[in-house]
Amino acid sequence: MDVSAVQAALADKSYSAVAPLCDDLLLQGAARGVSTDDWPYAVHLLAHLYLNDLNSARFLWKSLPQQVKDARPELSAVWRIGQCLWNRDYAGVYTAAQGFEWGPELADFVTAFLESYRKRIFQLLTSAYSTITVADVAHFMGMSEEDATNYAVGNDWSLDAATKMLTVRKPKAQTNQKLDASKLQRLTECVFHLEN
Amino acid sequence: MDTTAASTAMMESVEALVAHIQGLSGSPEELAHLHSLLKQADGESLRANSAAFVPFLAQLQPETHSLGYLYLLEAFATSAANLRDVGGADFLVTIAGFLTACSADQIRMAPEKFLNVCRVLKDQVMQLNMPIRGIVPLWAAVRKIQTSPEQLTPVHADYLLLCLLAKQYKAGLSVLEDDIFEVDQPKDLFLYCYYGGMIYIGMKKFPKALELLHNAVTAPMSQLNAIAVESYKKYILVSLIQNGQVPSFPKYTSSTAQRNLKMQAHVSFTIYYPELEKFILSNAAEFRSDNNFGLVKQVLSSMYKQNIQRLTQTYLTLSLEDIATSAQIDTVREAEMHVLGMIEDGEIHATINQKDGMVSFHEDPEQYKSVEMVEHIDSSIQRLTALSKKLASIDENMSCDPAYLLKTGRDRGRFDYDDFDPVPPHKYF
Repeated sequence: MDVSAVQAALADKSYSAVAPLCDDLLLQGAARGVSTDDWPYAVHLLAHLYLNDLNSARFLWKSLPQQVKDARPELSAVWRIGQCLWNRDYAGVYTAAQGFEWGPELADFVTAFLESYRKRIFQLLTSAYSTITVADVAHFMGMSEEDATNYAVGNDWSLDAATKMLTVRKPKAQTNQKLDASKLQRLTECVFHLEN
Repeated sequence: MDTTAASTAMMESVEALVAHIQGLSGSPEELAHLHSLLKQADGESLRANSAAFVPFLAQLQPETHSLGYLYLLEAFATSAANLRDVGGADFLVTIAGFLTACSADQIRMAPEKFLNVCRVLKDQVMQLNMPIRGIVPLWAAVRKIQTSPEQLTPVHADYLLLCLLAKQYKAGLSVLEDDIFEVDQPKDLFLYCYYGGMIYIGMKKFPKALELLHNAVTAPMSQLNAIAVESYKKYILVSLIQNGQVPSFPKYTSSTAQRNLKMQAHVSFTIYYPELEKFILSNAAEFRSDNNFGLVKQVLSSMYKQNIQRLTQTYLTLSLEDIATSAQIDTVREAEMHVLGMIEDGEIHATINQKDGMVSFHEDPEQYKSVEMVEHIDSSIQRLTALSKKLASIDENMSCDPAYLLKTGRDRGRFDYDDFDPVPPHKYF
C-alpha cells in the first residue's frame, strides 16, 4: 500500500495528523482490496497514543492478527507503552518508551510522544496537586529527582528543601473573553422571548 | 430455436440495453425513458443470463451510467451462483467502486435495487471475514441514498455492524453524529440504536450510549423484540457505570416494554448492588454468554468512582485516609491514584495536598463567561429551537391526519364547551 503520505507527515513532524491519515488510508485501501501486509502498524498505533486516543489504539491492537503481533517486536513495544497508559502506570510509560531500541522510522516519533506526554502529565500535576513530594514528581515525570526539581522550579513551583516538598503554582487560566456582539444580541433576544 | 440461438438472441438484447444505457444517461427525461426500458427488461430472462454481465459492466461508467449499471449489477449480484463463480474478493472491489462513484440522483430512482447491492456487499465481506473492506463503500452508500442527513436508511445499521466487527469504532461515530428524525422501518431504528450504543460504549462515551440504548428501549413496540431486550441489558449496565442507578421507565415507554423487559433481563442486579462482587462472580457465566462481561467488570470498577464522587457532595476537604476508608479502597496511595485519575478525566474538581495528606474538593471552575461557552449555549439553543419547530410541524401534520381524527373524534364529544369559548380565561383578570 502507498504510505508515502504517512512518511511525509512523519518527516514533516506533523505528528497529530498521522492518526487520521492512517485511519483513512487503511480504510480506503481495504475497500480497494489492497494487501495490508506491509502496513506500518507501529506508526499507526503510536499515532493514536500521541493523541491520547487510547480507545482507538486498543481497538487497532485488538484487530490485528496474532501472527502480525508476533512477527513485529517494535509493534509490541509500542503496545507496551499503550498498556501502561491504559493502566495509568505513569512511570511505566517512560520505562516502556526508553527500554526499546526504536528503528529510524519511529525513534523521533517516540521522542516527540514522550515530550508531549511529559507536558501533559506536568499539567495534570499542576491542576491536581497543591503540594507534592520531589520523589513523586520524579516518579510521574520519569526524571531523576534533581531534574524533576529543576523542571518544577523552572515553572515557578517553590521547594521546601528540608521536607523535599514542592508547592505548586497554578498559572491563571487564560480565557478568551472577547464576545462577538451579535452572539450576545441573540442570547438577549432569546431570553427576552422566553420571559415574555 | 435451440439454446445457443436463444442465448445469442439474449446477448444481443443485453448489448442493445447497454447501448441504451450509454445513450440515455444524460438529462432527467432521458433517464426516465431509460428507467422504463430497464424496468421492461428486468425480469426472469434478464436474471437467467446475468452470469454473462461482467464484461458488459466494464463497458459502462459507474459515475455517468449509474442507473443502468445498478440494474445490471443488481441482477448479477443477487444470484448466489454468480457470486460463487466470481470468487468474491475481486468482485467486491467492483461493488465497492460502484457504491463510492455512482451518481446519487440516478441511484435514488431505484432505491430498492441499490439497497440490495448494499446488502450483497455486507453479506460478502462478512462471509469472507473481512468486514473492514465494506466500511468506506457503505459509508458512501449511506450518504448517497439519504435524501437528507436526518433520514435513517437500512444501510446505517449494516455500516455500524461492519464498524463493530472490524473494530473501527471511530469510523462509526461519523454517522452517529447526525440527528435522526425520519425512520421508515422500526427494525432499522432498533438496530441503529443498539449498534450505535455499542460503538459509544467502546469509545467510553457513556452518556451518548445511554441516549441511544434508551431510544431502543422506549421506542414504540407492540411485540417484544430481541434487539430491545439486548439493548435493555446494556442500558442497565451503562446506567450503573454512569449514574450508579437505573432510572425507571419514562411514561412514554410502550406497555409491552414495561411489562416484559424486566423479566427478560437480569434486573435483580440492582437489588444486589451492595454485594456486587459476589453477585458478579456467581453469575459470570450468564454475563459471558450475553457478551456483557466486559461491561459488568466496568460496573465494578466504577463503584470506586461513585463512592468518591458522593464524598465530593458532602465534604469540602477530606483526608486521603478517610477517602480510602469510606470508598473501601485498601491503601492511602491507591486512594490518591483514584482521585488523580478522576481529576485527569475531568470527573471531579479537586486538589491533593500531599504535605497534609488532604484533598480539597472544588466547585466546577466553569464560569460560563468564556467565548466557547457562549458559543456552546448559542448552538444548543438553536438546536432546541429547530427541534421544537420540527415537533410542532409533526404535531400539526398528525392533527390533520384523517385516520387520527377519526379515532380521536369518536372518543370525544362532538361539541365541547371549550370549543366555543372565544375568550382566553386569563383575560378576565
